[in-house]
Parts: sequence; C-alpha cells; structure tokens
Amino acid sequence: MVHFTAEEKAAITSLWGKMNVEEAGGEALGRLLVVYPWTQRFFDNFGNLSSPSAILGNPKVKAHGKKVLTSFGDAIKNMDNLKTTFAKLSELHCDKLHVDPENFRLLGNVMVIILATHFGKEFTPEVQAAWQKLVSAVAIALGHKYH
Amino acid sequence: MLSAQERAQIAQVWDLIAGHEAQFGAELLLRLFTVYPSTKGYFPHLSACQDAAQLLSHGQRMLAAVGAAVQHMDNLRAALSPLADLHALVLRVDPANFPLLIQCFQVVLASHLQDEYTVEMQAAWDKFLTGVAVVLTEKYR
Repeated sequence: MVHFTAEEKAAITSLWGKMNVEEAGGEALGRLLVVYPWTQRFFDNFGNLSSPSAILGNPKVKAHGKKVLTSFGDAIKNMDNLKTTFAKLSELHCDKLHVDPENFRLLGNVMVIILATHFGKEFTPEVQAAWQKLVSAVAIALGHKYH
Repeated sequence: MLSAQERAQIAQVWDLIAGHEAQFGAELLLRLFTVYPSTKGYFPHLSACQDAAQLLSHGQRMLAAVGAAVQHMDNLRAALSPLADLHALVLRVDPANFPLLIQCFQVVLASHLQDEYTVEMQAAWDKFLTGVAVVLTEKYR
C-alpha cells in the first residue's frame, strides 16, 4: 500500500482545490489524444479527432475528460486506500474497456504537465514529486484487477 | 520524422531557452532527482550534495547538447554520435530512465511557459526528445 506523507497530501489537496476539474479533465484527455495519437483507438465513436483543435474542442472529449478527472477526485479523498477505491473501475477497464494499463501512466504524466502549465513556479519539484507519486499509484490501482 | 510544423514548434520553444541553458538544466536535474530518486545513482558527483554551482554547470552541459540536437534535427545521429558513444560505453544509463528525464523536461517547459505551452509544442517536444533518447541509446548493443 502506498503511503503519502502529510506534506505530500497537502501539496496534492491544495492544488486540487484550486483546479477547474471540468476544464482540466477535457484538457488532459485532449492532450493525451494529441500527443499520443494511438490512444485514439479507444475513442472511435467520439467524432472529429482530425486535428489538435478538433480534439481539444470535441464535446465528447471534454465530457469524458470531466468524468475521468472527477473520478480522480475520489483518489484524492482516499489516498490511503486506492486499490479498494478503484477496484470496480479496474475490473471495468480490464473486462469491458480492454484498456492497456500503460495508458493510465501516459494520462497521469499528461495531467502533471497540465498542472505545471496552470501553477507555474508553484509547481515546485517537491509538489511535482507528490503528484507523480499519486498518478503512479492511481495507475497501479487501476491495473490491479487485471487478469 | 519531424514535420515542418513540428520543427517550427521545437525551434520556437528553444528560442525561449537559449541563453538560459544553465538555469533550465539545473532545474531539470533537480526535478529529476526529487521526483525519481533512483536516477541519482547516475550522477554520484552531483546528487550527493546537490551543490547549486555543480547543478548549473552540469545542467548547462546537458541543455547545450539539447541545443545542438535542435540545430541538427535533420541529422541527430551524426550530431549526437560522440554522446551516443559516451552513453553506450561509459555512462550506460538504462534506457528506461530517458522517459523520466523527458517527463521532467516537459514539466520544466510547462511551468515556465504556462498558458503558452500549447499542445502542439508538447507533442513536438515529446516526439523530438524521444528521438534524441533513441539515438543516445542506439549503440548500446
């Protein structure tokens, strides 16, 4: 089980509190689909993904991004218990969605980059470390029920 | 292969770094060591005391090499050949570490450029740095 120190939790929750989760979610998913175009394989029915602006403006991308990041909020409320928190979602991603867990790592890294664009200097190495630890732990939790 | 737009994005971002290689390089190394402590083993002289002057000096060297790569985007293999030899024969950094460095590089760019760090820049730099890493590890075996 991953343990987060008080400082790490503070770094994570303070930034999360200042985020527009809806917008950031769309941006994270959008950037994933642009920077790593093979990830589009899971979103064939999302309509126009033909250019970066099409992807970032795509309403289905925004809606799904919001869903994903809202779920990430659950992670932040349950940092000491990620595997249990994401057990059902893990099963879903394995059994129904067939998503390679590598994609969770890619999305986590994109999220960290977006946080850096939003928070600038405030996104210190220590703050980055706390967030990389969190996204990595979430990725592992989401992959935990794969069989 | 980098498209014309990708090359333009890469050059545009580099213009913002040029002249500040030491500062960006030192921050890159500091982030690398803080976020991924296992990488410190590759920099024994640096990571023990994390002396600011040494970080700036080594950071400058690393970013200067990136700058050389930017100047020779069309022929990375030739331009980076001595560095590829160094990594293969002397440094022998496990290839798995390059994505960690690239992630930290992206965070450095993103935190400095903020809203100006467009998705096109992020994509171009991810592709470019990944290409650099491939060349640096190509002679490993």
